[in-house]
Amino acid sequence: MTIQEDLSKPILLFNDECAVCRVIARWVTQSAKRQAGGSPLIIRPIGNDPLALRALNPQLDIWDAYANIHLLMPDGSMRTNGEAVAETLRRLPSTRWLARSFDVRVFEKRPFQAILNVAYMVLADLRPLLGCESCGIPPPWLHPFHWIAQRIKGRVKPKNHTAVAMGHSM
Amino acid sequence: MTVATDFVRPVTGETFDALVGTRSGPVAVEFMSYGCEHCRLLEPVLQEVAETLGSQEAVFRVNIAIDQELANRYLIEGTPTLVMLLNGEEVGRAVGPDPSVKVLWDEVTRPFEELA
Repeated sequence: MTIQEDLSKPILLFNDECAVCRVIARWVTQSAKRQAGGSPLIIRPIGNDPLALRALNPQLDIWDAYANIHLLMPDGSMRTNGEAVAETLRRLPSTRWLARSFDVRVFEKRPFQAILNVAYMVLADLRPLLGCESCGIPPPWLHPFHWIAQRIKGRVKPKNHTAVAMGHSM
Repeated sequence: MTVATDFVRPVTGETFDALVGTRSGPVAVEFMSYGCEHCRLLEPVLQEVAETLGSQEAVFRVNIAIDQELANRYLIEGTPTLVMLLNGEEVGRAVGPDPSVKVLWDEVTRPFEELA
């Protein structure tokens, strides 16, 4: 895969194998299009080429990219998890007002950013329950719900591996 | 997670037969995908095992998100799956092994020891 990215804009990476992530990426893409003068972000799937990702940022590991959200900044830094969400919302015209709250400091703490960080972690934990086979292993607090969800689906996920649909593309 | 040196050699549908299928001697092929959390947990363990094995046994990696045909050929039902081959013939497999060096070492060496 040849990467010819515009590195002057932040690049938001998303997991194309995850339905939840695809829906969020689609919403970000639509919101970004409303920006006068062109999209303030580049939204692209993580893909399968570790070297292509390293070309975008030498610190970027493909395993980490799939584990949590990454926003690659033009200055070479990376934002992850709740910080990446906040920065993304900061760049979108429809959510810029909301993103200002994440910068509010109370006694040197950023309470709204802290809430966002927790909200991101909860959503990330919930993704496997929402039908995403590639979104990791549910943490212990979700095991009962995961077990119930699998019983409802009529199957129990085998331990230590992610099921593959035979004969279908991933 | 940063892997300094990759002891697991990537192989694709185009290179599989040349690198793996016709290879004499023990080979372990991991069928994986980068979006699989179990594969992510296994990765550092597999690297350590592959490094320790050295020339004793070659370890390869097939990304099934790209090479679905290879996954179909070997009837892969989940990732990670390790298929052990000797002279191109399957002699064992491990589906979702525990991500510990001892378990994985046993999984990738036992099939060949049983044949010896």
